Amino acid sequence: MKLQQFLGGIEGLGPVAVEKRVFVQPWEARLFGVHATMMGTSIWAWPDLRVKAEGMNPLDYFKYRYYIKWQGAMAEFLVERGYIEAAELDALTQRFLDNPDTPLPEKGNPHITDRVIDYLWTGDDPYRNIATQPKFKVGDSVCVKDVPLGIHTRLPGYLRKKVGVVEVVYDGAYLYWDKGPTDGLGTPQPVYNVRFNTTDIWPEIPDHGDVLYNDFFEVYLDSVQQQ
Amino acid sequence: MSTHDHDHDHQHASGEHHHHDEERGPESYYAARTKALESLFREKGLIGTDTVDRVIHFFDHEMGPFNGARVVAKAWTDEAFKARLLADANQAIKELGLREGIEGENLKVVENTPSTHNVVCCTLCSCWPWPLLGLPPYWFKDPVFRARVVREPRAVLKDFGVELDSAKKVAIWDSSAQVRFFVIPQRPEGTEHFSEEQLAALVSTEAMQGLGLVSTAQQGA
Repeated sequence: MKLQQFLGGIEGLGPVAVEKRVFVQPWEARLFGVHATMMGTSIWAWPDLRVKAEGMNPLDYFKYRYYIKWQGAMAEFLVERGYIEAAELDALTQRFLDNPDTPLPEKGNPHITDRVIDYLWTGDDPYRNIATQPKFKVGDSVCVKDVPLGIHTRLPGYLRKKVGVVEVVYDGAYLYWDKGPTDGLGTPQPVYNVRFNTTDIWPEIPDHGDVLYNDFFEVYLDSVQQQ
Repeated sequence: MSTHDHDHDHQHASGEHHHHDEERGPESYYAARTKALESLFREKGLIGTDTVDRVIHFFDHEMGPFNGARVVAKAWTDEAFKARLLADANQAIKELGLREGIEGENLKVVENTPSTHNVVCCTLCSCWPWPLLGLPPYWFKDPVFRARVVREPRAVLKDFGVELDSAKKVAIWDSSAQVRFFVIPQRPEGTEHFSEEQLAALVSTEAMQGLGLVSTAQQGA
């Protein structure tokens, strides 16, 4: 079991770090620029990054700042896929540590920039305009499956085995990712918005009438027998 | 995390580079490694010399929370627009000249009311409506925020300085598939004469995900 797939509802963690900045160090913005380039040139996609995040040591996942984790994931991925070599990355890191004023090389591919910016304006719409027969309809009670644990999931752990009501059946079908390991998201499928009473998820909390909505790929839902 | 940045000049035997790096402060290591990554990308023709600068500029000027604030101000002043926004956000934002884009292919706008307060989170990662809010701030990605907000939203709101009216119900939106959620906060009292620009200036990123309220009081920093 991977803690990162079961974050929702953990108790005893203390206050939230209310840091309202997007980047807290200048290098984080530049790292993000490299990440955006990897996205915009199809070197990787969100699920690749999420696989890395979910595969981390959970104590490190809590310990390290967001972009520190990203940097580790990016470097690992780039080495695994042969885009760079670990030794050259380490050697160059040391060179910039020893001589922080060393300029970056004035070379590159000038066509990449527009491609990346165009990608930021376009994104990757996962919508697939195919005929589907959704299993559930608005108002149906559904039970979240306790699917086998996987390397990568879009099922929040705290909702496993909980019962909610279908609020929205989204049009068409959505493909999450067919290029890597998931727990059933490799084919286009209907997606549902499901409403839960938070006291049905955590019976021990005070009842304020609060509700929680989550979007589910169809593979994660089962019907509930009407009583 | 310590950012204490000694510039030790200890000379270590070879093989102790890592220890040496840590003594100089981790931030200098991460900065150097980021430069190394961009440098390798340039050498290998995987990036342009201006790509990173253009991406940073893009999120400073094109895709940021200033877009969402305009949407809120318009929704507060135009009921028909608000109705269209709640029904089909991707279409409605185009009326303001705003564009969709990455992480905003499927937007859903919800509205805070006297009886319901909406809060957005992503317990699995950091899904966020980029075309309206730019990039997510650190708090949204904090595992502690993500762990706690679904089970104890009122206590988390207190960490943000928000004391919720006890009569309100909280609706939490966990972003686990393709939809990215956005909150229209409640319009503060005493703003009837405000222009859309003045209204937009009151709206924080936090308020547009339900972790802040909008008020006319001057806020520090």
